[in-house]
Amino acid sequence: MMRKLIWFAFVLLFGWPVGAATTHVANLSLPCDSYYQVPSPDGIQLAVPCKDHSLHVVSVPEGKELLVIPSERRANSIAYSRDGQWMAVGFHDGSVELVSTGGLAPSRRWQASERRIDGLYFFPDSKMLVVAPADSAGQVWDLAELPKLRATLQFDFGGINACAVSPDGKLLVVAGDDTVLRWYNTATWQKTLENREFLLETFALTFTASGKEVLAGGADARITVLDAATAKSVLQLPPETGTYIVALDVFGEQQAAAIYLDDAGEKPPQQQIWHLGNAKSISLADAPPTCEAVVGGKLWFCTTEGKMLHISEYQ
Amino acid sequence: MTRRELLERCAFSGALMLATSLTVPALAAEWDESERKRKPTPYCELGPFYKREAPRTSTMRAPSDAGMPLALSGAVYNTRGEIVPDAKVEIWQTDNDGHYDIEGYRYRTLLTPGPKGSYAVESVMPGHYPSRVCQHVHYLTTASGHRPLITQLYFATDPVFEGDPDKNYTRDPLIASRELVRPVMIKADAKQSIAVVTFDLVMETL
Repeated sequence: MMRKLIWFAFVLLFGWPVGAATTHVANLSLPCDSYYQVPSPDGIQLAVPCKDHSLHVVSVPEGKELLVIPSERRANSIAYSRDGQWMAVGFHDGSVELVSTGGLAPSRRWQASERRIDGLYFFPDSKMLVVAPADSAGQVWDLAELPKLRATLQFDFGGINACAVSPDGKLLVVAGDDTVLRWYNTATWQKTLENREFLLETFALTFTASGKEVLAGGADARITVLDAATAKSVLQLPPETGTYIVALDVFGEQQAAAIYLDDAGEKPPQQQIWHLGNAKSISLADAPPTCEAVVGGKLWFCTTEGKMLHISEYQ
Repeated sequence: MTRRELLERCAFSGALMLATSLTVPALAAEWDESERKRKPTPYCELGPFYKREAPRTSTMRAPSDAGMPLALSGAVYNTRGEIVPDAKVEIWQTDNDGHYDIEGYRYRTLLTPGPKGSYAVESVMPGHYPSRVCQHVHYLTTASGHRPLITQLYFATDPVFEGDPDKNYTRDPLIASRELVRPVMIKADAKQSIAVVTFDLVMETL
């Protein structure tokens, strides 16, 4: 009884402790040295970009190797479609490869740019792919047949840093190197709105489940919530000074997870869970995070211990 | 002797056969233009620490700042070798300890070279930091009718190159061109030594 009382008082004072709010998903042996990993949204695969520029795809939770793209091809970016059926890989030589994760369709590869592909973003229905070549205009490719260029997204200078598509696929929000956030109507590809309030670059964008808000995070080290209908900021969460946000995911009831990197590259990355309603946060894990993704509506995150990768789920 | 005089003498002596559509002055002008032509400055990526609305200052270094003083200068041209009069040059770098100022605008400036096309700024040698191999200075140059030029300047004296930038410049995977590694001249007087680097920027027209 006393133990229960102490526990109750602890939770009342300090909130729910992290250890109690996470469950173990899988332990996998990493196939290589890797800074970060990308779980598929259906939770059955994990892409492991390696420091030697090879890419390994393994099954979850077995850890069986499913696909290897050798280091000579220098994979640089990866994205899964929301249904987990497709994986897009961007390469240093500016090419993009679309791979059927179940092996049900042949891979397709095309030369999107002369520059390294830094980012890839699927539309919710998997029919289009936004390609971000380094410091170059963004591209929207139609994947229905042979990849066909649908739109080119221009900036004052540079290229795409981050991108998000509304849940209904009608709105595309793009963060440029020029620090501007731009809204596009995906039926016409006309720019409809923009936000020039950001002085620093935005590296992560995501829509809330309702599609009514857009969350932005980047070099200003804080999450900004924007009204998707007006592009105006409606809330700014406190900054984690000395860091910058590189990943941002929304899940559950008004919760957002963010990964922060140290500005100077001296401290390990950290991960925070924010409650958008009360602007309070908790640290997710003691070990530095190496992935985060929303799988079946739950937040997955990864940590490593030597060659062992631990995947956990936040409840 | 001018180029025009040289061409006239060659033509007169029969050493130069002129096509009917070309006159000596036209040929001299073309010669002049071909000599003025410049290769575009190689691209080098923007990186994550760009900040908009930097102050217009030619003095980024405060007197008490740590690090070797650095004098950067150059001019902005197009590929025809002409000055780009309305260019804007944004420069940002770390301090001597390898830290970017994200909160404020230390070691960030926006310069407008003006009709002569030249720019000059006082700084310090930037520091090394863990996620980058070499010391570097970021440049973003914009001008109407020209492709924005995003690049970085590197220093031939960087210890990473071990005195041989020709051989070792690829130690930093972001340096795609040897041209971006600039020689450093040390000027010294009784009070201090200053590293002097010139870096001309050549923009492509749209």
